[in-house]
Amino acid sequence: MAEVDFERRLERLFAESPELPDAGPFADRVERRLDAGWTARRWLIGAAGVVGGVVGASQLMVSNLFQRVESAGDSARLLSSSLNHISTGADWWTLSGGGATVWVAAALAVVMMGFVLTRVIGEI
Amino acid sequence: MASLRHSKFASLHDVELCSHAALGERAAFGELVRRHGSAVRGVLRRMGAPPAEADDVAQDAFLTAFERIAEFRGEGTFAAWVKKIAARLYLRRLARERKLGVLTAEAAEDEPPPRADADATIDLDGALKTLGATERLCVTMCFGAGLSHTEAAEALNLPLGTVKSHVKRGLDKLRARLAPESGAVVEGRAGHG
Repeated sequence: MAEVDFERRLERLFAESPELPDAGPFADRVERRLDAGWTARRWLIGAAGVVGGVVGASQLMVSNLFQRVESAGDSARLLSSSLNHISTGADWWTLSGGGATVWVAAALAVVMMGFVLTRVIGEI
Repeated sequence: MASLRHSKFASLHDVELCSHAALGERAAFGELVRRHGSAVRGVLRRMGAPPAEADDVAQDAFLTAFERIAEFRGEGTFAAWVKKIAARLYLRRLARERKLGVLTAEAAEDEPPPRADADATIDLDGALKTLGATERLCVTMCFGAGLSHTEAAEALNLPLGTVKSHVKRGLDKLRARLAPESGAVVEGRAGHG
């Protein structure tokens, strides 16, 4: 028998692997492990989200963000009124709403963080 | 419920099942395991893994395949792809347990291969048992798991020439056993030692 023929025959013999009697239970075990891994991953992502939320909230509390926002608003109003005194002809309407601007910026940052978090979870 | 999901996927082709699995459909992947689990376990057993260890490695191989399913381009068959993963995982396990060095350092068996009984029905698994451990590993990796000689040499951490020699010696023994000039009947058998 030619060498190549024998090698092909051998490949066929290897490929003709018979069905093992416990093929079904084996597949069930693999599926269970897949499900367990999936569940663990979801718990991990959830836990990471909770931890991230807690850390974020605590950082906000520690940094006195709300007081800073109020004082920033006050500063902006003060600056605005000062500038009005200096140049009444100029268009300073954007500065007059300094407090609102800070809030809008904060909201945009939150939306951005949400977007990033969604992408990260999607990638995982 | 689970059987309903399985019947939904039973009629699909492997490539379609892979697409579903890539989208996270674990039941679709389960159908692939149902179809090809025995083949993957069979290759590992033919490499010399005890049945329980072969099953462990096969499970790990399927889990790895699920994680990397997006990398499967459908160039070969799904079963061949998982067999390669399984063979590499088994060798890694042998290396971790320091059994691989012992196997590959084992002296080649110089004794002549046993002659086949022309009247007997000869099976591949029986024939593989007449090979030395390294010959068996090399032949099964190349002909069962579909690795090239180079890939097998890398996985076994052996020189390419050594792997080729093991394969050649193994093939000679198998040929003497499976296809003697007297023309014994050759067939794959259900037994997986």
